[in-house]
Amino acid sequence: MATVNFRNMRLGAFIIIGTALLVTALYLIGNKQNLFGSTVRISAQFHNVNGLMRGNNVRFGGIDVGTVESVEIISDTSVNVVMVIEKNIQQFIKKNAIASVGTDGLMGNKLVNINSSVEDSPTVEEGDVLKSLKPIEMDEMVRTLNVTNENIKVISGNLRTITDKINSKNSLWSVLMDTVVAENVKSSLVNIRLMSNHAVSITGDLKGITYGMKNGKGSIGALITDTTLTSRINQTIVKLEMFSDTAAIISGDISGLVKDLKQGKGSMGVLLNDTTLVHNLNTSIKSIESAAGNFDQNMEALKYSWPFKKYYNKQKKTNSKK
Amino acid sequence: MKSKTLQIFLSETGDIGRFTYRFFVEAFKPRYEFSELLRQCFYIGYKSLPLVAITAFIMGLVITIQSRPTLVEFGAEGWLPKMVSVSLVREIAPVITALICAGKIGSGIGAELGSMKVTEQIDAMEVSGTNPFKYLIATRVMATTLMIPILGILADAVSLYGGYLGTNIHGVVSWNLYWNQVFDTLTFGDVVPSILKTFFFGFAIGIIGCYKGYNSNKGTEGVGRSANSAVVISSLLVFILDLLAVQITDLMRLT
Repeated sequence: MATVNFRNMRLGAFIIIGTALLVTALYLIGNKQNLFGSTVRISAQFHNVNGLMRGNNVRFGGIDVGTVESVEIISDTSVNVVMVIEKNIQQFIKKNAIASVGTDGLMGNKLVNINSSVEDSPTVEEGDVLKSLKPIEMDEMVRTLNVTNENIKVISGNLRTITDKINSKNSLWSVLMDTVVAENVKSSLVNIRLMSNHAVSITGDLKGITYGMKNGKGSIGALITDTTLTSRINQTIVKLEMFSDTAAIISGDISGLVKDLKQGKGSMGVLLNDTTLVHNLNTSIKSIESAAGNFDQNMEALKYSWPFKKYYNKQKKTNSKK
Repeated sequence: MKSKTLQIFLSETGDIGRFTYRFFVEAFKPRYEFSELLRQCFYIGYKSLPLVAITAFIMGLVITIQSRPTLVEFGAEGWLPKMVSVSLVREIAPVITALICAGKIGSGIGAELGSMKVTEQIDAMEVSGTNPFKYLIATRVMATTLMIPILGILADAVSLYGGYLGTNIHGVVSWNLYWNQVFDTLTFGDVVPSILKTFFFGFAIGIIGCYKGYNSNKGTEGVGRSANSAVVISSLLVFILDLLAVQITDLMRLT
């Protein structure tokens, strides 16, 4: 009897393990399909759902948060898609979120993507209808791609001719390939850099100067900023004009005078032009010199003579005192 | 000659039908042979587990290794757990379990009942007042019907574990990721029909084995023949039932 019991126990364990595995598997699958746990139903209306089916995933922020419960046509231009969303995700989905039909990978299953908008909005509630985005249609994409391909064909043809032209000799390419040119360009670039450095320092100086000028520093600044000065300058200019006028008259007179002088007119003219007079003047100056020498001697002698001796001594004393 | 073969085939089909009807009539009448049912469950279910587990493990491993090159060609190596889990759960594990059991249990029942029949034990049982159909056949058929599904579930689990090891031979798929992907892929439409059809497989194996054993004749030679034909017919029936089950699930769009 004990063996029978032991046998039955083993059988029991076998059956329990088998059914437990089945129940676990079914629970796990059901969990994935949101059959258990609390959910929220929201819907969105599309113009075209591209073959979206019941059971397809709903993604929010790239995470599977629910499944499509039903897809039904409600009018000739719109299809209503009811989605079952996990209750604990509800708080994150706002009323202004946008639903769009997408594809998992390039060839994968269809799915609904829910994307948040930037603006703030209250959270979504049971039965809300989300705004939808027109899905990308494969046909349309292929059609656009076709046009793009045609364009690329034309462009690549053009590019080919261009590259052919560049590759040929006597073209820009030869200039580009010349190393001397490159060296020159390099050195000129260095110079340009130096120049620009200088230009920078110069402009800095200029800036300082103009700043000073604006604030009335320095003579130019004073000149520029002082308003009374301008009136004075005006007066000066007027006076200068008058002066130059008189100067012109004077110079006219002088030129007349000089002309007269050259022609020997007047006493001065006679004096300047007469050569004999010069000779006479020389001799008379010589005689004056000798006369002056004599007068000097006389004066020396006079110093030591009695009436004047006292005066000279007195003068000497005052000079030494100083 | 040809018409005679057809006659034999048709009469045998009719016999099996009547035998099945008789099973339903006897099995649900009171006075249940409960302890005998448990004993049969133990021998049919528990004792078959090692064989089924080893086969399922090897199938899981092999299918994974064999599927890899094709998927690698498409650059879809990451889909290996998904593909393997679907093919194992939907088809391979239930059918492999049923075939192994058809071989082990079908032949066992056929030989056991056949030798009982030949040695006139069944007749003696009838004389002694025990209903041999109830005691021998109903218990065995019920045991196979109940045990093959459980063996199938265990085979699913073991073969998926084999698949896990198989995916990790060349690539690296973590334990969590593997099971996550498996249960992400599997739906009720995959699991429920595959479990339901194993009940029918079990029933077919039991009923054919019993029929062949119960109707064996011509002495000891007949025992071998009934054991042999029990295996052949029940294996064939497993495939036919599988075809029907797949077509029905496909029609019901449970895929």
